[in-house]
Amino acid sequence: MPPASEPKGIKANSFFKRLIQQRTLALMCIPFVIWAFIFKYLPLWGWTMAFQNFKPARSFSDQQWVGWHHFSILFEDNTFYRVLRNTLVMSSIKLVLGFVTAITLALLLNELKNVIFKRFVQTVSYLPHFISWVVASSIVLTVLSPDGIINLLLTKLHLIDSPILWMGKGEYFWGILGATEVWKDVGWNTIIYLAAITAIDPAQYEAAEIDGASRFKRMLYITLPGLKPVIVILLIMNMGSILESGFEPQYLLGNGMNMDYSENLDIFVLKYGLGMGNFSLGTAAGIFKTVVSFIFLFSANFIAKKMGESRLF
Amino acid sequence: MVKPKLKTAGLAVVLMALLAGCSQNNSSSSPSTPTEDDNSPVTFSYYMFSPGKKDTLASETRIGKELQEQTGVDFKMEYLVGDSATKAGVMIASGDYPDVISSSGEMSKLLDAGAYIPLDDLIEQYGPNIKRVYGPYFDKMRNAEDGKIYALPYTANQGEYSGNPNVGGGAFWIQRSVLKEFNYPKITTLDEYFDLIEDYKEKHPTVDGAETIGFVSLAGVANNFFTLQNPAMHLAGYPNDGSVMVNMDTHEAKVVAGTDEQKKWVEKLNEINAKGMLDPESFTMNKDQYLAKLTSGRVLGYFNYGWQIGDASKNLLSAGIDEKRYAPLPIVFDEGIKDQYIDPPGFVNNYATGITVNAKDPVRIIQYFDNLLKEENQILVQWGIKDETYSVDENGRFYYANDDQRKAHDDLELSRQFGFTYFGTDWPRYGGESTLSDGNAYSPGNQPEVAAASYTEGDKKFLDAYGIQTFSELFNKPEERPWFPAWSIALEQGSPEQIFTTKSDDLQRKYLPEMILGSPANFSKLWDTYMAELSKLDKAGYEATITRIVQDRVAGKW
Repeated sequence: MPPASEPKGIKANSFFKRLIQQRTLALMCIPFVIWAFIFKYLPLWGWTMAFQNFKPARSFSDQQWVGWHHFSILFEDNTFYRVLRNTLVMSSIKLVLGFVTAITLALLLNELKNVIFKRFVQTVSYLPHFISWVVASSIVLTVLSPDGIINLLLTKLHLIDSPILWMGKGEYFWGILGATEVWKDVGWNTIIYLAAITAIDPAQYEAAEIDGASRFKRMLYITLPGLKPVIVILLIMNMGSILESGFEPQYLLGNGMNMDYSENLDIFVLKYGLGMGNFSLGTAAGIFKTVVSFIFLFSANFIAKKMGESRLF
Repeated sequence: MVKPKLKTAGLAVVLMALLAGCSQNNSSSSPSTPTEDDNSPVTFSYYMFSPGKKDTLASETRIGKELQEQTGVDFKMEYLVGDSATKAGVMIASGDYPDVISSSGEMSKLLDAGAYIPLDDLIEQYGPNIKRVYGPYFDKMRNAEDGKIYALPYTANQGEYSGNPNVGGGAFWIQRSVLKEFNYPKITTLDEYFDLIEDYKEKHPTVDGAETIGFVSLAGVANNFFTLQNPAMHLAGYPNDGSVMVNMDTHEAKVVAGTDEQKKWVEKLNEINAKGMLDPESFTMNKDQYLAKLTSGRVLGYFNYGWQIGDASKNLLSAGIDEKRYAPLPIVFDEGIKDQYIDPPGFVNNYATGITVNAKDPVRIIQYFDNLLKEENQILVQWGIKDETYSVDENGRFYYANDDQRKAHDDLELSRQFGFTYFGTDWPRYGGESTLSDGNAYSPGNQPEVAAASYTEGDKKFLDAYGIQTFSELFNKPEERPWFPAWSIALEQGSPEQIFTTKSDDLQRKYLPEMILGSPANFSKLWDTYMAELSKLDKAGYEATITRIVQDRVAGKW
């Protein structure tokens, strides 16, 4: 970097100088810049739909402009607030549970000395990640059905008198979803932490051991702080998708009885946007989602910056 | 999941804008060079908005192969998986249409989006058989806005009306062992129906070690929720007009939701649930689990339309245990009500097949359709090949000469291989109640000789016990309803009427199960809450619109 006191002309000059110096690198970037432009920025043009009464198969100039009409429909609809609440709650559950379980499992696996057992646990825990949600939800429905294994177990243990209709009670839905998500993804999420742990200097452990730190102490004062940068970065990135509570599990596990708790923004968009051919409303909801995600992402990054932690940008 | 789709939608709009010029040129230039007898091999894509079949190439079936030899045309048939409204929305947003689409419930959406090309000129030029078959119905097929024909429906009946001796529509089904146990009693009311099931369940609390299920419904699957909604109107003596009951005299439409009829039906279910006769899983299981339950032999009764459970009943039939199969009953609320389960002759104009704007060669497709509508090919798709899947007696009557011929039609896998499963619907065809020009029934199932011969021993025992020849004799004959069916009325996309439908369905999906599974003491309180919620919606506006269209149809304006 040139010193700040240098005149602007020289700065611009040095930019071009560097550009020419690194022209191969710059040229290599061009396809990706074009790719990003076409696939990430051009589609933003579609946002104009939110301000029209969009009808497919008509030219842009034939569309009727309605301003913020679709946004006001959205914000006046009680359903919208319900699905917004569900979205926020479900993604928070997913975020917190996802982090806690994955980090815990990573810490525990790291302490295992028997390599074969460690590999076995890892394989078993990340296998469900590769099952599609369609199959996974069928498994969940079967397990939780009145004749399912959970009800069977609970009745045999005399914890309940009659089978519980798990999927029929809205209040249970968030818990079931959280448990399902953990079952499906905990092993997969662990991988990145295990990788980060291997990067921690073994000398630190040796030193701690000599100082008489117990296993638990080592975990707490060496492994966890070593993981901190990874955790913070992942947290910031996940904050950006706070309104992405997922779609498939809610859609596949949802039914009329738990609708009040299972329907999220994505399903709302699907039903009132795509389902009714009202693309404008769907786009408006999508824009809302993006704006909120944007705010969350930037706040998280800002807080991390203030706290002097590693950050995204 | 959805977000990327929205992005795709946005991108599609941009691309459409960019490519608008050239794509229009393309579509107008291709049909301008037709050759009369072009039999060069070509494959088109054909999307069906109806679920439940395996995707296949037409030429992989006997029928498709035969038609390919005649025309050189093959079709790649793809069937709906999941929710049709969503699929249609995505298809429209991306503009990625196959060559041909069978619309099922999505017609108005596709028409709004300009997905179909008008067929008038093509029919005029290449469709003598299309004209013969659909000619009398052209007025009912024209688009209200521009008077053009965009698609060919499946209900254009030809010749004399031939009724279906078996029940393919809605009915309260009951396991035959229940009727047998009590020596085939004649039951007509809802109370009798459930009393009988209750008595049987008491005598036989388990089946093969598992608990007997008194009654089950397919109300957990969003797009099959009508299975729980519709019985109310059937019990009150109306045919399936969708979400409304239409008065025979005034032709006024009344929404079923929130009526006394619905209350009576739901209250009855609440009552039987309290007795432990209703399977609470009715509201949570998916369709696969439901069908598995029906074939398990544990279920004593259910309400369904025949076409909802086709695979399950074919499986039960091939399992060969007649007592575990189900018999259809025309159950009503009270003694005096005349049942109307069997659909009156009607014309459904919005379940139809059309050629899309993306079609590479509309002329070849329309020629294929025209060829398909030749009488000999209509016999091929329904009856198959002479002496192989059917025989003709000395009087020229079609029948099944042996069990193999019957199986070719009835066995799920065989009928798939031959192609009956694929060509039976979703293609331009004669209506199912048609009669061929030589007097034979168009649908083998409607041919009395076939119906009689295809009955199993158990079927015969059942029919003998009630002193009837065919199952449909249990049911009343349909009365004439010139607007029928009201469910084929197309609502404008995103209109207040459509929003009413979505919102009231959501309300029912939430409240009906709650009322049914709740304790009977809470029932009236819950019903009041439900009614209060319902009254916030614009029911009157919806009813007015449907009434207007019904009256238009009665006056001959379709």
